[in-house]
Amino acid sequence: MKLEPNIADPDGLYEALVNAHAGLSDQESAALNARLIFLLANQIGEPTILYDCIDNALRLMHKNSERGG
Amino acid sequence: METQYQGSGYRLPEYPFEPPPEIVEGTSKRYRVVVVGGGLAGLSAACDLATRGISAVLLDDDNTIGVRGLASRGITYAQKSLEIFERLGIYDRVKEKGVEWSHGKTLADNDVVYSFDLAATRLSKQPPFINIQQFYIEWFLVDRIYELGVTDLRWNNKVVGVQELSDCVRLDVETPAGKYHLEADWVLDASGVNSPIREGLSLPIHPARGQDRWCISDIRFKLDAPLERWTWIEAPFNENRAVWQLPMGDGVWRLDYQMDANADPDAVSNEGVVRSRLGQQLGEDREFELVWVGPYAYRTQLLDNMRHGRVFFLGDAAHVMSPFGGRGGNSGIQDAENLSWKLAMVLNGNAPHTLLDSYQAERHPAAVHNIKTTSRTTRFLSPQSNAERVLRDAVIALAREFSFARPLVNTGRMSAAFQYDASPLITDGGNTVQNVPLLLSGGKQGSLLDLFAGENCYLALWFSEHGLTPKQVKLMKLLQAEKTNLRWCIYSTIGHSASELEDGGGKLKLALGVTEDCVCLIRPDMHLAAKIEKPSASSIRRALRKGMALEI
Repeated sequence: MKLEPNIADPDGLYEALVNAHAGLSDQESAALNARLIFLLANQIGEPTILYDCIDNALRLMHKNSERGG
Repeated sequence: METQYQGSGYRLPEYPFEPPPEIVEGTSKRYRVVVVGGGLAGLSAACDLATRGISAVLLDDDNTIGVRGLASRGITYAQKSLEIFERLGIYDRVKEKGVEWSHGKTLADNDVVYSFDLAATRLSKQPPFINIQQFYIEWFLVDRIYELGVTDLRWNNKVVGVQELSDCVRLDVETPAGKYHLEADWVLDASGVNSPIREGLSLPIHPARGQDRWCISDIRFKLDAPLERWTWIEAPFNENRAVWQLPMGDGVWRLDYQMDANADPDAVSNEGVVRSRLGQQLGEDREFELVWVGPYAYRTQLLDNMRHGRVFFLGDAAHVMSPFGGRGGNSGIQDAENLSWKLAMVLNGNAPHTLLDSYQAERHPAAVHNIKTTSRTTRFLSPQSNAERVLRDAVIALAREFSFARPLVNTGRMSAAFQYDASPLITDGGNTVQNVPLLLSGGKQGSLLDLFAGENCYLALWFSEHGLTPKQVKLMKLLQAEKTNLRWCIYSTIGHSASELEDGGGKLKLALGVTEDCVCLIRPDMHLAAKIEKPSASSIRRALRKGMALEI
């Protein structure tokens, strides 16, 4: 799993994500994210990287919710 | 409460009860092998042992096959099981009665979102699958066991007690002529989900039940559909719940409907309710015969150890899983095969008792794998939260558009033989070898199985492009003299005088994954034990002895 910067256009990516979610209900946003996850996962393919990403995302989510957000 | 409707059922054979010698003579007897339970696993084991010359007593608690004479039950038999049936001598009857298929489709509305065709990788004489009612398999096995004539089949003999003695196991048995007990050196418990032996020994099975409810309806009906496995994850004719559609013998189709979670089993299997439900799929005015209606819920359980002293547990007595992919019945048949050749070798004095330890080492991981695989399907089919449903919806939506997402659609992964790569018996491989059709010496059509010539032995296939050198022939003869449990076959693309077989297109090498000159050791259950490049007497001897748990 890469943890060093690897996204060529970070601001552009953030904008594209925000724009994609613009005007969507929570339910639609969740549906969009789910589709995106599988599309991105297929670009990576390698199971160990994917499971590392899931583990770290979950660990970070728990850590942040302990801090209250 | 509504009465559960079970369907018109099948006419099954009944077998005669004969008072056992213990009751007639008033004595207690001891047997080498007692098999408990006349289902797929028990009958496969008794038949397998019989083909290897081992007699056993088989105790069954009723006088027929099937359950209450009604159920079609497990209907999908995978290639490995079919190859076992070929060896046991019932394959031709299975093929004649059943429906061959290889193609599966998963539909969302009318779109195919996932499909497979397992014929593409088939090298075996047997097809990927045959669908047939379970009781036919059991029926053919009983006929074959009678034909072999070495097994003592005891109908209406119900095991009600078990006791471990110092050098044997005592079983208490109830019959219409009264109670008796017998002693066994080895007990093969294949008495099913609620095994009285397992319960009598208080062995934990870690049971878990799912909330999801299903209802099988097997119908006799002229259905204008291809002989394929079709599944819907969200069927419009079943309130967007899942539906399975599979053909089987006698023009019967299985329609398996996912019900509301926590649905009442009696309510969903009421005849009127079933007919109206099927009318949604088939058309309101279509006539069909309801052969069997069976509601069920998911259930998993697994013994920590499939061997307890002198008792071995096979099939549902050892492990229970959701039905997806036909893994229950097929794994019971493979349990039986795995144990039978080993027990026969031990009883014939060709291998030490420690060979029997490998039953747990090989079949327990197989059961763990099957439970994991079916549980994943269960999870896909019954999302347990809003987040799970969002993920599944995304998979289905993507699968409609893009091929990459189709393998994520999980409506059951079909039963396949387990690879024993971590087994103490395996040097290299552990995968099953397909029963490749071969032209045998003398021009006779046969298959890989025929090379065993009915013996309970290892098979050594020597692939040698230019035929064996005199030194290699000497090596082979040396090893042959050491061990009787080994048969040699030499495969050479030239110099036919030295070859015992030729397979034309090299399918055998393809099935074994062999390209170079080497020796392949194949076990009596057709699993690959070793692939030896640069064969020497010591490397072959080491792999063979390891494969029979002999000291190296």
